[in-house]
Amino acid sequence: MTTIPDARTSSSAAGERHLLLDPGMDLTLRPMRYPRFFDRFRDAIKNTWTVEEVDLHSDLADLHKLSPAEQHLVSRLVAFFATGDTIVANNLVLNLYQHVNSPEGRLYLSRQLFEEAVHVQFYLNLLDTYVPDEQERFEAFAAVENIPSIARKAEFCFKWIDSIFELRELRTKEDRRAFLLNLICFAACIEGLFFYGAFAYVYFLRSRGLLHGLASGTNWVFRDESMHMAFAFDVVDTVRAEEPDLFDARMEQQVREMLAEAVECEVQFAEDLLEQGVSGMSPADMREYLQHVADRRLAALGIEPLYGSGNPFAFMELQDVQELSNFFERRVSAYQVGVTGTVGFDDDF
Amino acid sequence: MTATQEQGAPDQAVPTQRRHAMRVRKRNGDLEPVDVNKIVKAVERWVGDLDDVDPLRVATKTISGLYDGATTAELDKLSIHTAAELIGEEPQYSKLAARLLAAYVDKEVRGQGVASFSQSIRYAHQQGLIGAEAAAFVARNARKLDDAVDLDGDLRFEYFGLRTVADRYLLRHPETRLVVETPQYWLLRVACGLSQTPGEAIGFYRLMSSLAYLPSSPTLFNSGTRHTQLSSCFLVDSPQDELDSIYERYHQVAKLSKFSGGIGISWSRVRGRGALIRGTNGKSNGIVPFLKTLDAGVAAVNQGGRRKGAACVYLEPWHPDIEEFLELRDNTGEDARRTHNLNLANWIPDEFMRRVEADGEWSLIDPSDAPELPDLFGEEFDEAYRAAEKKAVRRVRARELYGRMMRTLAQTGNGWMTFKDRSNRLSNQTGAAGNTIHLSNLCTEILEVNSDDETAVCNLGSVNLGAHVTADGIDWARLRETVRTAVVFLDRVIDINYYPSAQAAASNPRWRPVGLGLMGLQDAFFALRLPFDSAEARALSTRVQEEIFLTALETSADLAQRFGPHPAYPETRAAAGELHPEIWGADMEQTPRWAALKERIAEHGLRNSLLIAIAPTATIASIAGCYECIEPQVSNLFKRETMSGEFLQINTYLVRELKARGLWTSAIREQIKRADGSVQQIAELPADVRELFRTAWELPQRALIDLAAARAPFIDQSQSLNLFMSAPTIGKLSSMYLYAWKSGLKTSYYLRSRPATRIQQATVPVAPAAATAPIAVLPDAEALACSLENPESCEACQ
Repeated sequence: MTTIPDARTSSSAAGERHLLLDPGMDLTLRPMRYPRFFDRFRDAIKNTWTVEEVDLHSDLADLHKLSPAEQHLVSRLVAFFATGDTIVANNLVLNLYQHVNSPEGRLYLSRQLFEEAVHVQFYLNLLDTYVPDEQERFEAFAAVENIPSIARKAEFCFKWIDSIFELRELRTKEDRRAFLLNLICFAACIEGLFFYGAFAYVYFLRSRGLLHGLASGTNWVFRDESMHMAFAFDVVDTVRAEEPDLFDARMEQQVREMLAEAVECEVQFAEDLLEQGVSGMSPADMREYLQHVADRRLAALGIEPLYGSGNPFAFMELQDVQELSNFFERRVSAYQVGVTGTVGFDDDF
Repeated sequence: MTATQEQGAPDQAVPTQRRHAMRVRKRNGDLEPVDVNKIVKAVERWVGDLDDVDPLRVATKTISGLYDGATTAELDKLSIHTAAELIGEEPQYSKLAARLLAAYVDKEVRGQGVASFSQSIRYAHQQGLIGAEAAAFVARNARKLDDAVDLDGDLRFEYFGLRTVADRYLLRHPETRLVVETPQYWLLRVACGLSQTPGEAIGFYRLMSSLAYLPSSPTLFNSGTRHTQLSSCFLVDSPQDELDSIYERYHQVAKLSKFSGGIGISWSRVRGRGALIRGTNGKSNGIVPFLKTLDAGVAAVNQGGRRKGAACVYLEPWHPDIEEFLELRDNTGEDARRTHNLNLANWIPDEFMRRVEADGEWSLIDPSDAPELPDLFGEEFDEAYRAAEKKAVRRVRARELYGRMMRTLAQTGNGWMTFKDRSNRLSNQTGAAGNTIHLSNLCTEILEVNSDDETAVCNLGSVNLGAHVTADGIDWARLRETVRTAVVFLDRVIDINYYPSAQAAASNPRWRPVGLGLMGLQDAFFALRLPFDSAEARALSTRVQEEIFLTALETSADLAQRFGPHPAYPETRAAAGELHPEIWGADMEQTPRWAALKERIAEHGLRNSLLIAIAPTATIASIAGCYECIEPQVSNLFKRETMSGEFLQINTYLVRELKARGLWTSAIREQIKRADGSVQQIAELPADVRELFRTAWELPQRALIDLAAARAPFIDQSQSLNLFMSAPTIGKLSSMYLYAWKSGLKTSYYLRSRPATRIQQATVPVAPAAATAPIAVLPDAEALACSLENPESCEACQ
């Protein structure tokens, strides 16, 4: 194995300590240096779900009930989903995995990669179900090029993938800042804002009793994405604790600008989706919602909010509340896999 | 109009919607500017006694979600949604939203020229929705019935309940899909469908309209219509061990499912994988491929668009395919061996539990080698099983198999534990040899005998205990009155019912079983301030159940006096002078009444072989606005997801308490939300209040089992008992279910657990980075000493 290059002369306190973004390929799980990453890996396994569990049957009937404006919304949304998770998976492989130098962290990223693949499969299945016409399906996948509101979001993603694509090792503070910006972009802007925006449309429709299949699959996707974001923020916090001066004023400003750009991308997407008028969801409310979400991402990073906006969507508040389904209605998504222990008769219950 | 549009010439920088005055399209097609005052007035009409709602807030929020050119119908709908979305801040908005919805429905009905109950029945009859008999009955008694409609009846509904009614229970015009009856017309229609005189109909209507009692959904869906399938549950015996019988069962299940029935079906008689098929000299593929077919069949049947078909398969644990059976609901593995729609239940003989306890071996026996096993219980089963063990296909460690059952429960909530011997020994229907209960039903509360040519049927209804609480406690006289009416109308269903299969038609008139249940127990405990696990709560729940059972038996004896006992009465234990609590060996409070009852039964018999079953009441409790059956609250704040959408449910007893203490603030609301509906971290609340408002996840499950066991002597069928565990382990579950078996429970239902991780909350404030616990970056030496993967060996964080 290569010796760790000494790029830390400025950080004398670090001394011999091995840091998370040090170049290399650490293989040591014992002793474990970042047990929290390992816990996240184990928790993620308990959330395993498969595409076959999602029943899209009732959605087909609902699709016919939608108004033309709502149909436009759904078709645009599906077109975005068609490629969104693939982009995230690509960044994970191309940029994140090589730099997070912790075997337990890489375990989590491997798991995340699997989840992204399941999401891709879910949305593929959704598209095949929702869009029976082959030509239209091709068009959905071409949306990243043909539909301006989606193309703009994709450009934003590619710009940030490219920003560190050439970096093979993080040798300088600037390298590590560039890495963090990429990580924050994918966690806070793409998974944390683009997807959260998309989920809002899904949950809006469900609050009207529409497209339960899409919503139940989205519940699971949403749960996974929440974990991805939490893990990414764990990495940010860890790097920050190890090297506090990385987060300087300039970097904070870059994060704010990045989020502001992401909000604008998503707002123009919203204007496209809602252009025909959807009762209960106005572009103005959507903008406020996105600003609110962006502020939350900044708050999680310890950065002053940009907008001071509140959440206008009560149906999103419902997503914060424990679910209780009765089984006649839908499949309950609250069970966990990976139960441990042995038969005994003296446990407390 | 055009002039206004031109004035607001487009300006790129500002979203157009905010700049224009918003307009709505009226029913005649004209556009009109939205007038906030008009909306406020429309909302104000329904405020009445709701002193904590703000009509202006509803109006402005409605407009903010509107788009230019929306229709007035969209505006009305949006104002209903908007009011409903404020429930989390102020529960009174639930009533407001319900009233706006009732007004919307009313307008829709009147818009079709329907101005009274009798007109609505006539109109629906013309559309082919109402049966000839009900239509004639209403026509004959039109004036009396029209006068009986309670104009304020809809004021009693909460939003979620009325939304459910409007979306799924009210009859709709076959083409336009507009509703043709109001909620009160619907309840009166249900009553008329089961009545012989207008007086009787009005009495029953008033009881339902007060929400003190509701029949189960099939009755609420179908009474008075052309298809009077009013029963909830069907218990189908296992197919015989041959193809023709298996395919006959698929057909039967499809027919039963079509008209809203939930199916329980056993599969214990069908040979397992690898067993020889003599006809072809081949080996059987076992039960899984057949269950896969059943799974597809159940999913294909859509119950009138109102809900999906549902079935539960029961298997005895000696069946050689039991391990594969327990994996049917796993979400990994070969999909050809998975059934995503079927529910699963274990039908467990005591011998299995004894061997689990003793850590003995357990033999798996093919039913083709011991076809008598499904029909035996108690000592006869034990002997036959032991004799058949020499033909065992395989032997396993009993605890190993039990552990697998626990794993299935934890991972899927399914694989319910139901106990064959206890269910049979205590049943009134197993008094004569040859009558055996082979399974329970979809919700594990029905226990009735069946056979190859008799499919057991049960009609259900539930008393809302919450509606029988006064400041001084339970109103016992009113409870008795409710039970008497309920039993008469449950019994009535048996004669009016349409039976979708010949086997069902063969069983029900002979046994005439009904299942009177209970809901809103938690409401009564909250109202009387009894913690769920207190001795007083247990005593009250037992006393209530005794009162209900006793009154139900008295009513059934009255009916027997008038109409004669049910035909199979001589085969029952009651005919031999034994009633359920006596077989149980329970203490009875009301001894003189029981003694008098026994004399009456000795003289007249009983009209019904079984009377009590506590069903889950998922939907009807929503309609009545009370907590489900005998369950503790799941959370002080939770959401329901149904085909109608998502609904926030908030504990109004808690809100009242917090308001009285000046604690109903947005900070406290956030705290409750953040804690997943728990109030245990709210330091401002005294300990006894926090104790009262614990959730199912915070109660000792032992208490739930103890309460169930204490009331069980007064339940001649069984109860749908859910158990709750946030983080189940095999050790906890195996202890809990052994305890449930030892407590004498006949059945248990879902194991409810919670997801391992959750969605990031999107609307509660983020804890800023500085305030979150720093992530430990441990020097290598410390990492050795403390491992979070093994918390038991490390006390550093405890």
